[in-house]
Amino acid sequence: MIRTIVAAMGMIVVGSCHAEIDAQAIALNCRNCHAAESSEIPALQNLSSEQIGRTLFDYKYDKTPATLMPRIAKGYSDNELKAVADYLGRR
Amino acid sequence: MADHSRRRFLQLAGFAGSAWLSGCAGIVSSGNSKTHVVVVGGGFAGATAAKTLRQLDAGINVTLIEPKASYITCPGSNWLFAGLANLENLTVDYRALSNDYGINLLADSVAQVDAERRRVIMVAGDVIAYDRLVMAPGIDFRWDTLPGYSEATAQFIPHAWQAGPQTLLLQKQLQAMNDGGVVLITVPAEPYRCPPGPYERASMIAWWLKQYKPKSKIIILDAKTGFSKQKLFEAGWAKYFGYGTANSLIEWQSIADNPLVGLDAKTGILTTDFGDKFQGQVLNIIPPQQAGRIAREAGLADASGWCPVEPQSGRSKFHDTIHVIGDAANYAPIPKSAFAANSEAKACALAVAALLNECRLPEAHWLNTCYSLITPQHGISVAGVYKLGVERKIEMVKGAGGVSRLGDEQAAVLEAGYARSAYRTLVQDSFG
Repeated sequence: MIRTIVAAMGMIVVGSCHAEIDAQAIALNCRNCHAAESSEIPALQNLSSEQIGRTLFDYKYDKTPATLMPRIAKGYSDNELKAVADYLGRR
Repeated sequence: MADHSRRRFLQLAGFAGSAWLSGCAGIVSSGNSKTHVVVVGGGFAGATAAKTLRQLDAGINVTLIEPKASYITCPGSNWLFAGLANLENLTVDYRALSNDYGINLLADSVAQVDAERRRVIMVAGDVIAYDRLVMAPGIDFRWDTLPGYSEATAQFIPHAWQAGPQTLLLQKQLQAMNDGGVVLITVPAEPYRCPPGPYERASMIAWWLKQYKPKSKIIILDAKTGFSKQKLFEAGWAKYFGYGTANSLIEWQSIADNPLVGLDAKTGILTTDFGDKFQGQVLNIIPPQQAGRIAREAGLADASGWCPVEPQSGRSKFHDTIHVIGDAANYAPIPKSAFAANSEAKACALAVAALLNECRLPEAHWLNTCYSLITPQHGISVAGVYKLGVERKIEMVKGAGGVSRLGDEQAAVLEAGYARSAYRTLVQDSFG
């Protein structure tokens, strides 16, 4: 079963641009807390890119209070946050 | 089970498969590739690296070498002392990595790394060839630093800095101690695994002592002059444990200028350079640390005892086809934590996959978040966002990260809950 899946995944398609790589490299870290199984920490699965983006910007510019995310969001440029939101919202 | 895991693998493979090779010139077919990456060490770093590699490129075969069938996480193990967890809660295994991601598990230890010929030789004699090697052997202790304290002594004077029987031993000793007894905790100089760990441990023990042995005392003897989240810990200790008063359950003392020179295990007396003596009924010696033995034997460590790496890829500065991640590696200023190990593993996996596909390496991004419990309902955190800065060295992004807001009681309650959730999601992300 695994071999079939692996073979099917063998073809890897070209992506789009440099920002795409950075978004994934950043977004992989989000999964440490934002997983589907968490009860208290929101999962990102059903959120759109717009929703994620708006929230990240609210955190970065202290429009929304939170315990941790404002400290993290401030670590990224606006472009990086947008790229991450686009990336996560597509999944 | 098969259906669920198949859906999850496809879902997770889709997370990466459609996007990651943006730096590549064209379509890369790796379905029939025999590329083989060996990962040594099944802790947070090794498990995450193995899993992420498979998600990024299913054409890369991955073998995870880990002698233990299951792993007890150090994160969360302090909670045992407050009665909030048991070892079973903290135990993970490698079944998901094997079943859901097709990672080959090899339950043995590496006897020797043959870097020139790109092979590892196992204790049982097998020879495993690799295209690239990822070393994640964790920490080893420096047993030669405190006269009177050795690996043998640790069997009855625990460090509990690797979770499992050591944690239980320390817990048993605390339970057996008389009310009014003294617990000594010694903290080494940096770098060591989990900077805030000793202070969370003191908090959890104090919370328990307060209920069952309130006349007792914890004395922390610290080789450092300050510690992670210090203002937050001290404020919490003042609020809950009388810190700063004569009856405080916790005392903290820096012995940076007056180091420990000997331990008398029979009497439980620690002696310092100036001749000060501290006697405890329960002693928790957290020794200075270094990279896991196999990394040092493979020539990957420098004089510091830790493994220097080129940060973006995690490549060893001594061997170009070997990567080192997790506690064993020097990723300063990123602290040694399980969260950071997971983050380093992902950045490394992205780089390894790019190298094997001869693509441009992606820019590296790291994140660290550490939660600590002061009481079961009072949590605090420290975070850091890291990038490559001047001269391609790792830098913490200024204006970001930092610690919880002091005096925010609402946040403390919330963070106590997040500490538990974040633990579970980190474990699931790394091993599930």
